[in-house]
Amino acid sequence: MNAFVEQAVQALAAGLLAGCLYGLTCVGLALIFGIMRVINFAQGDFMMVGMYLATGLAAVLARLALPDAATPFVAALLVAPVLFTAGALLHRLLIARTTGLRGGTAAHQAQLVLTLGIALVLQNGALIVMGSAPVSIVSPLSSSAWEIPLRYDAFSTLFLNQGRTIGAVLAVLVALAVFWLIGRTELGKSLRAAADDPEAATYVGIDVARAHRIAFAAGTAIAGVAGGLMVLAYPVQPFVGTDFVIIMYAGVVLGGIGSVSGAFWGGMTIGLVQQLSTLVLPLQLQNAAVFAVFVLILLFRPQGFFGLNVERA
Amino acid sequence: MSYTRRQLGRLAGAAGLAALPLRQGRAETKEVVFGLIMPLTGAWAKSGELARLGAEMAVDDINAAGGIAALGGARVRLAVGDCGASPETSKNAAQRLLAEEPALVGGVGAYVSSFTLAVTEVTERAGVPWFTLSYADAITNRGFHYVYQTSPTAEAQAAAALPTILDLARSSTGRTPTRLGIVMDNTASPVNFTRGLRAGGAAKLGMTIVVDETFAPPLSDAGPVMQRVRAARPDLLLLLPTSVPDIKLTLEKMNEIGLGKGRLPAVNNGGPMGSPDLLRVVGKDMLEGVMFITATWGMTGMETLIAAFKKRTGQPWITQDSISTYAHIQILREAVEKAGSTERDRVNAAIKAMDDPALAQKYFPGGSIKFDERGRREGAALVIAQWQNGEPVTIFPRDRALATPIWPKH
Repeated sequence: MNAFVEQAVQALAAGLLAGCLYGLTCVGLALIFGIMRVINFAQGDFMMVGMYLATGLAAVLARLALPDAATPFVAALLVAPVLFTAGALLHRLLIARTTGLRGGTAAHQAQLVLTLGIALVLQNGALIVMGSAPVSIVSPLSSSAWEIPLRYDAFSTLFLNQGRTIGAVLAVLVALAVFWLIGRTELGKSLRAAADDPEAATYVGIDVARAHRIAFAAGTAIAGVAGGLMVLAYPVQPFVGTDFVIIMYAGVVLGGIGSVSGAFWGGMTIGLVQQLSTLVLPLQLQNAAVFAVFVLILLFRPQGFFGLNVERA
Repeated sequence: MSYTRRQLGRLAGAAGLAALPLRQGRAETKEVVFGLIMPLTGAWAKSGELARLGAEMAVDDINAAGGIAALGGARVRLAVGDCGASPETSKNAAQRLLAEEPALVGGVGAYVSSFTLAVTEVTERAGVPWFTLSYADAITNRGFHYVYQTSPTAEAQAAAALPTILDLARSSTGRTPTRLGIVMDNTASPVNFTRGLRAGGAAKLGMTIVVDETFAPPLSDAGPVMQRVRAARPDLLLLLPTSVPDIKLTLEKMNEIGLGKGRLPAVNNGGPMGSPDLLRVVGKDMLEGVMFITATWGMTGMETLIAAFKKRTGQPWITQDSISTYAHIQILREAVEKAGSTERDRVNAAIKAMDDPALAQKYFPGGSIKFDERGRREGAALVIAQWQNGEPVTIFPRDRALATPIWPKH
């Protein structure tokens, strides 16, 4: 019984820590998917680019006088401006040609093919430049834990992985910053207006193309930061994005399409279900449990946790 | 410019005449084409690349030594195909290689068992002798006549592995482990490897399976799995994840909960556990003491090969991928020498007639270069290597080991 309690507490902690990072990746996608209605197949690959960048930056930072423990996290945060710029350029040069007011089915198909193309270019480009071998930030943080004794007996202990815990806290902070930006600032208002009704937003003088560019760039930057926070525990190779992109979409849909804060809770739900399911189900069914819960939630609440309405085809 | 039909005929005749001495010239210094199909892109690209390095080195060594003597010093050329990351692309790669290289004499590939199964479906029909280091029993269970497996098969390895490990433990500590833990993913290799253990194999050796966890890769967090291992307190752990991220997560978690750095002896199966890349991703400390089972590894008697390989490629050590393909190309050369021909059936007959323990000794832990009717190498044995101070070194078989095993004495 004691062993079960220990495992339950451990699974809950693991679920919360994983959920925070999943939540952040979902927030990035929600910005793009929710505001621009662009199905971005390349989101996982932006994350992959962020992982590589963070690994490289960490190697550079390691030579500076920074404390060892801070290096991976500073590197992850430094990814943001780089990928923000890259995202803005990508939007201006490619994505904008298939989005904006020239919407409709044809535009959606063009977006699908375009983002899929970007994904393939990024994956194979990474293969050429970085090679196929996985790389990671090697830090003692990823293999050491804060041990919190559970008071009910002398042996049971909760292990909180140091790297993951710091990563999760940073993920929450970045997500909070995004919520503040969208909910409390003038820029956020224009983003929301562009999401709700691009045409009406244009009439009241909002530069929808600019709003979309910012949303896309921010979404890309967040994917990069999330990747940077993840690479401490999860090695990066050119095709790593596909491991995460399905989880991102599931999280966004769970949270409610169009709701950025909902996406965070969607990601969190996935993390929790993934880890807590191991208490009652075989480990092999971890991801099956995630999607079973996903289907159940959508059955009873098709608009997701925070979605206001459902667009039906 | 336009030609009449007669003019065209003359032109063609002249071209034919011009080509004649060329063709004769080629007949004298004929080229012998060996094929290599490996995953050079996708998740297994590193192993494929190491395999290619081994094959290229073998070809250069053969050519530097004067080529194939029986064919007047014919030079060997390696035709390389990329089988990508799936059985479908592997089959396509084999078809392409056969179409582009009609003179293909024999070949090597394709690392992943399911890729090898696909590739050999194509090469068998074309009657191309084909060598592989892949482990799956199915590769040589299909009644094929042109496929040769130099590694012990997965089932043979599984049967031999645990007794060998227990023997190692006994000789290192004087005690035999009795509590077995299994942590694995649900891919084909560990599933086959452990099947026999659960069906009474472990009990026969006096071991109780105290924890047995299978997960679907990739792991998001190794916490729940390793927590169960900690609770069950095994004294030997079969740690069988096959992908680098999962290996990293499980090893780091072992360290985190106080079981790492050899405190709980952990054994993996298959070459990827000894990949030089793992060192960069996981780090030296996490890997210390981890053991793995493989078909061949750097051993005594291979010193020249190891030194030449390291110098040529800059790799920190030689792996089974490079040793095996080097060996396969050398076996093909030997067969062509014996056959005195590049005709595939004669080369195949020469392979079947081979019995060369000395050649096997150069590249493998035991047996001979002699294949049974299914194409399995007779006497193929396993190697156990252990990470010691940032390098995987052979610790078994003892007579060819490069280091003594480190085993926790608790």
